[in-house]
Amino acid sequence: MNLLTRPSLKRLFATLLLAAVVAVMTGAPGGFGVPADTGVHGSFLEHVSYFGLFRTQRWAIFLTLGILAWLIVSFYQPRALSIRKRVAPVTAFPSRLMERRSHRLILIAVVVVLTLFIPHLEHQQFWMYLIVEQIGVWILLAQGLNVVVGFAGLLDLGFAAFYAIGAYSTAWLTGVLPTPAPFHHPIPTLWCIPIGVGLAMIFGIILGIPTLRLRGDYLAIVTLGFALIIDDFVGTQSGLTGGGEGSLTVPKFDLNLGFWHYRWGISPTPYFYLCMLFVVIFIIVFTSLEYSRIGRSWVAIREDEVAAESIGINPLKYKVMAFAVGAASGGFGGVLTAGLIGNINPTLFQYQVSVNVLILVIFGGMGSIWGVAIGAIIVQTATSYLDNYQPWGYQLNDLYMYIGALLIIMMIFRPAGILPSRRRLREIRGFEVEHEGHLDEVLSGDQP
Amino acid sequence: MGFAHFWFSGFDQIRSGFWAYVAVGLENGSLYAMIAVGYTLVYGVLGLINFAHGEVFMCGGFAAVLITHAILGSGVEDGWASVGLVLIGIVFAGCISALVATGVERVAYRPLRRRHAPKLAYLISAIGASYFLQTLAGKEFGYGQNVFPAEVFPAGQTLFSIGNTPIHTIQVVCLVVGVSMFLSADRIVRSTRLGRSIRAVSQDAETSALMGVNIDRTITLTFIIGGTLAGAAGFLYSIQNGIIQSSGTELGIYAFTAAVLGGIGNLRGAALGGLLIGLFGSFSVPFAFEGNISWTEIYTFLILVLVLIIRPTGILGEKSGRTA
Amino acid sequence: MKLRWNKSVALAAVGAMALTGVPLAAGIGTSSAASKPSYTIGVQGPFTGSDSDYGDYEYAGVEFAVSQANASGKYAFTLKTEKFDDQGSSTVAPGAAQKAVGTKGLVAIVGPSFSGASQVSYQYYHAAHIAEVSPSATAVALASGTDSSFFRTVADDSVQGSADASYLVTTKSEKNITVIGDESFYGTGLANVVATQAAKLGATVTTKSIANINEGGGGNAGAYSTLATELAQANPAAIFYGGYAPEFGELLGDLASDGYTTSNHVIMSGDGSNDPALMTSTSPATAANGAFLSESATGKVSYFTGKMASEFTKLTHTKASVAIYAAQSYDAANAIIKALVADKKTSSISTLRKETVASLHKVSFVGVTGPISFQPDGDLKVDKGAVQISSVINGVITIQTNVG
Repeated sequence: MNLLTRPSLKRLFATLLLAAVVAVMTGAPGGFGVPADTGVHGSFLEHVSYFGLFRTQRWAIFLTLGILAWLIVSFYQPRALSIRKRVAPVTAFPSRLMERRSHRLILIAVVVVLTLFIPHLEHQQFWMYLIVEQIGVWILLAQGLNVVVGFAGLLDLGFAAFYAIGAYSTAWLTGVLPTPAPFHHPIPTLWCIPIGVGLAMIFGIILGIPTLRLRGDYLAIVTLGFALIIDDFVGTQSGLTGGGEGSLTVPKFDLNLGFWHYRWGISPTPYFYLCMLFVVIFIIVFTSLEYSRIGRSWVAIREDEVAAESIGINPLKYKVMAFAVGAASGGFGGVLTAGLIGNINPTLFQYQVSVNVLILVIFGGMGSIWGVAIGAIIVQTATSYLDNYQPWGYQLNDLYMYIGALLIIMMIFRPAGILPSRRRLREIRGFEVEHEGHLDEVLSGDQP
Repeated sequence: MGFAHFWFSGFDQIRSGFWAYVAVGLENGSLYAMIAVGYTLVYGVLGLINFAHGEVFMCGGFAAVLITHAILGSGVEDGWASVGLVLIGIVFAGCISALVATGVERVAYRPLRRRHAPKLAYLISAIGASYFLQTLAGKEFGYGQNVFPAEVFPAGQTLFSIGNTPIHTIQVVCLVVGVSMFLSADRIVRSTRLGRSIRAVSQDAETSALMGVNIDRTITLTFIIGGTLAGAAGFLYSIQNGIIQSSGTELGIYAFTAAVLGGIGNLRGAALGGLLIGLFGSFSVPFAFEGNISWTEIYTFLILVLVLIIRPTGILGEKSGRTA
Repeated sequence: MKLRWNKSVALAAVGAMALTGVPLAAGIGTSSAASKPSYTIGVQGPFTGSDSDYGDYEYAGVEFAVSQANASGKYAFTLKTEKFDDQGSSTVAPGAAQKAVGTKGLVAIVGPSFSGASQVSYQYYHAAHIAEVSPSATAVALASGTDSSFFRTVADDSVQGSADASYLVTTKSEKNITVIGDESFYGTGLANVVATQAAKLGATVTTKSIANINEGGGGNAGAYSTLATELAQANPAAIFYGGYAPEFGELLGDLASDGYTTSNHVIMSGDGSNDPALMTSTSPATAANGAFLSESATGKVSYFTGKMASEFTKLTHTKASVAIYAAQSYDAANAIIKALVADKKTSSISTLRKETVASLHKVSFVGVTGPISFQPDGDLKVDKGAVQISSVINGVITIQTNVG
């Protein structure tokens, strides 16, 4: 074992670079003009002067840690293979657990029961609210996008549009937009659920027919383009959509059965049950779709469109179908959000919303319904926690830096997600297992 | 205001202020063209859209603010000193951007390339890189506007006039720098050994590897050329507008539209598309409803969507292979 | 954030990488006597996103007031501050408000900063009987009803906007006015009030809007020069710009280069542009001369002067001259402190919250921004002639007259 070989030194350099990046990432925020005295601040340019780069001790700490990490890696390098072999069963454990049907059923039962008890376990209204708004709704969104990206293999960067359509149609139907409600007769918010979902699906079809002839990254860009157009359009049309401010007075849900009248108030708990009901419905529908004729056609198109077409599958029809089905749960998420937070505005359309949903799908495992659900829970809980409590070196505003890093790392080390779909897993086992990226490839670059 | 009247008044404004619209259009257009070169070169070589290229441009803008801050402090620069500043600034911003671009390639693309990952993986990894760079810039430099410390070519400064339309110095500088940088890039790609390897890899990576072209080095070179041009554009942009962390995404999409319009993968197409999108954006301003400038954005994105749907190969693109 | 060297090496050895980023925030309020009860004043506003400067400045103002109160030692309680981030967005605000409601020891809120967020947050605070004192939410509709728990230490849009309109139409007798909004909540709101009021006073009003550059509006300078060309061609007698100094400066410079200057026209803007930074963002700076700027008596940027300004800067690392709404937040926090003093001393925080709302209705004192007392609907009591019109003379903003 020689520390001074070329690959080893390369690794040292890369580790130090990584340590520097982490130091900057966890450092203090900076900016021009914000601090009292003029000059440039921030962990990258600490202490005003450009040459203060290595002056503070934070840097020394991170460099030391970098060297330590390098030494450890170097000493264990010869044994890396055996370590990886020992780690592999652990990382594969969750997906192995889900392979047996009985295990799956037990797990589902436990999850459902636990879910019913969440409102009794969590007493902070604020966290209940986050569980609905940040986790429940986002599970739905992720499930919808999973149909589009995971099942049918269509990268849609404008998915937020369906979410926003759901929310805006709620505002429209309840008569709180400048555009009058249909027939000038506002309807109760609860009835917006079927209509909003329907409108989102119709919009999915309208958007899908012209765009879905394209493939791959071209499709991604077109959907992005449409999303930007809609975002701008909604923002400018004050007379139709309320412009940038949207509407601030969407009414709450209200169930009137004559003998029993229930109002959803400002407490998030009733929304939680409503949301969970639909999460269960959508998961059941999507699971049965996955193994139906339609689901198999999606897989065929995803894997090889030309081959699929040659055996009589109409790709455009099934792709549009995937868009519409995905739009349904996105639309429902929108209706629920509008009712829960009581207002809508064009930020719901933002490109970032689409990418955030995509992250949940990728993190959980494209095409895997349970993986996506679990991915959504993990990522959304983590981001909610980070944003509200700012632990360690985390500052407000930093979220997307970590999300960006997470995306790259996932693509390199675990492209199939934390809980890959079983169908995908079989494919990956077949082809890709030797090609899974590992740290060395990233660090030392050029080696074969 | 009637609809027809609205359009007529738009044309009226264009007729009376024609040269001013042309000047603004060419100024923005040359910036778009410089950024579009990066998109188009990378698409040619790797067959993928470098989603993080807008952020490469943004890093150039911040580098420009930093270097000017370091050598000048703040103040007004004019005359020959400003020419020197522009040269130093372009070199520095170009270097930083080239560095960032190769960094992105190294971290976000190369590991995937070794694994023959699907296209989707590249795109996602690029989005990750773009988020990362954008937020890091926001963290380091603040989320507000970073104004250019020195006033170079003050916005009102007029170089000459066409009719009674004043042409500002900065507009001329943008066009001159844009054209000369584009011409050198074009020259490198068309008639040097390095350029030949770029063209070889674009046509057939595997065969060219067999012929002895070092693919990794060629790809790095491609990112360096694209990054340098984007960095120079970042410098010119931040001179007038200052820079914020989200400028990259914004101009990136315009430049990407330009590359697609010109025919992605085609270097001259990128320049043509850039100028066209710049002019189009400028001439669509009078047609913005209620004077809302967001409409020019809508018009530009409509062009993007329409080109992709109707003719994904763009104006100068020849192959129709990758999309249909 | 700095650790001592020997300590840090020890830390590095155990690999406590994460610890190095922890701000040493402990220690706030621990110096005072432990027997005093400790209350929290929350600040709801944008602390992330493109508008985060507003939240930071307002928080700085509250921090300043609270640290003075704690240092004075004359109160029977100690105070803490806490941020609740709503990103300035009405869709995020409900979460921030519910987090604040659930915070132990929180007695009142300074904020929300923005009107949209204020509107949607109100129901949560009102249900929990928590008083909100906003330093910057100016939408007219926010203050209504008589048992309001919403207060503000800033005059609403109608005050400044109608004063501006009457100055343009009545005082300057300009009948052909173009009103430009910058697509920010503030700028659009102000521009709308000016446009409506000017039309009422008999002027012909054309409205335009242009995306701002600084508020994340996606505008670019090219659009400003195009707009300027367009305006110079249309040649209205007066232009009103609702927005902020950097863009107003950009517009002034572009207008001047197209021959539309303050010598032959009236160009005016509101308190967002009433900032010495206007001169540095206008090029050539002389183009700003002769521009009119309004300022509601409570909407000025810098109220901290002399010793106060330097103490503010020392405590919050923020320049007093850029910290917009910091003084209003300072007054808002002081109003809350005055109300807390007037409260009956109870141990239950929920009773204290209710009493604070009641006491705020009776608060009356002279703050740094002027006399602070509230109308029954929570609006600030504003005197007649509360809006100052200034003009730029040789690069200095000089007060001309009072209107309103």
